[in-house]
Amino acid sequence: MFVILVYDVGQKRVAKVLKKCRQYLNWVQNAVLEGEVSDANLKKLKMELERIIHKDEDSVIFYSLRTTKYSSREIMGLKKGGDENII
Amino acid sequence: MKKTLYVFSSGELSRKDNTLFFETEEGRRFIPVEDTGEIMIFGELTVNKKLLEFLSIKEIVLHFFNYHGYYMGSFYPREHLNSGFMTLRQAEHYLDEERRLIIAKEFVRGAARNIRQVLKYYHGREKDVARQLNAIENLIAPIDECKDISTLMALEGNIRDHYYHAFDEIVGNPDFIFQERTRRPPKNYLNTLISFGNSLMYTICLSEIYKTHLDPRIGYLHSTNFRRFTLNLDLAEIFKPIIVDRLIFSLLGKKMITKESFDRVTEGIMMKEKARKCFVENLDEKLKTTIKHRDIGRPVSYRRLIRLELYKMEKHLMGEKEYQAFVARW
Repeated sequence: MFVILVYDVGQKRVAKVLKKCRQYLNWVQNAVLEGEVSDANLKKLKMELERIIHKDEDSVIFYSLRTTKYSSREIMGLKKGGDENII
Repeated sequence: MKKTLYVFSSGELSRKDNTLFFETEEGRRFIPVEDTGEIMIFGELTVNKKLLEFLSIKEIVLHFFNYHGYYMGSFYPREHLNSGFMTLRQAEHYLDEERRLIIAKEFVRGAARNIRQVLKYYHGREKDVARQLNAIENLIAPIDECKDISTLMALEGNIRDHYYHAFDEIVGNPDFIFQERTRRPPKNYLNTLISFGNSLMYTICLSEIYKTHLDPRIGYLHSTNFRRFTLNLDLAEIFKPIIVDRLIFSLLGKKMITKESFDRVTEGIMMKEKARKCFVENLDEKLKTTIKHRDIGRPVSYRRLIRLELYKMEKHLMGEKEYQAFVARW
């Protein structure tokens, strides 16, 4: 499954959330990560994020696509983060 | 499916924030551990023990290639699927000459049939490979009659000999003539490509073996020795024709690799980094492509196909179902 994750959390928890997300997804730009994850790993990530965020202040949004076949991706300006597996 | 990371640039790979962190002069980048299955290293990489510990926990295999693109070795993390039972069954089948021969024959038969399939495809596309195809067809039946491993190996050598001679006709490019199979070091362009592809194939098979209960040290066609893993070599035989060789034909056909992609060095020929990258990129793409599997009835990727082969092996060793090598039908 392909997931796009965006977060908007209190300043204190930004680093924590970012670190957690980086274990599963590729960082693309501030507060946005994306990548291929398995169902199990997505559940794991969600559970771990739940423990970090404060539900009354923070928000994390998951956009999940079963396949990226019907979507396209285009970048304007700088390419900030990478997702290549050949580096 | 977890991704393979290919590292060509030079830098430092380390553990940071419980994930992988790669730093070069050009930049820094985090790599999601949970989405990493194996890492292939072609560049000059700095690694520390902390990272190896972490990779061991995460069960990620590291494969090292030297400056010339030859396989150097692997960091094979501690076995995580410990099955003494399976190891004993594997050894049992190795020690019993008859049982070993049954498995070894199946590997050769699988390889030969896949080779035949590749040639048939090109035969259908009006390439003049009828003679080689015929010769190989005639060599498939005698596999059954082999009485020991050495005659089997000789037969396999013959099949490959005929097969490689068909390469000139298939490629049809005067820059890439086959002549003879040379290794360590390969002496012409085509041999270099074959060697590079095969060594990648061996490591991919090794990574897949790591995910099963099988022990890569006990092979059947290749005899077990003190030095190297052998089961992955056996397994690769089946897949080399349908994955590596086909990839080589398509890369050459599309002129993605030309004679400018090589450097001549003392005693041999080497691929330039750009060519290596191109090769690896397309191999990775190929391993990800799915085909519909007849027995399972759903799409599986080529990489998955390799793993399924190992599961069949396990079943054979446990005496549940006789092993039959995978044969491509296209």
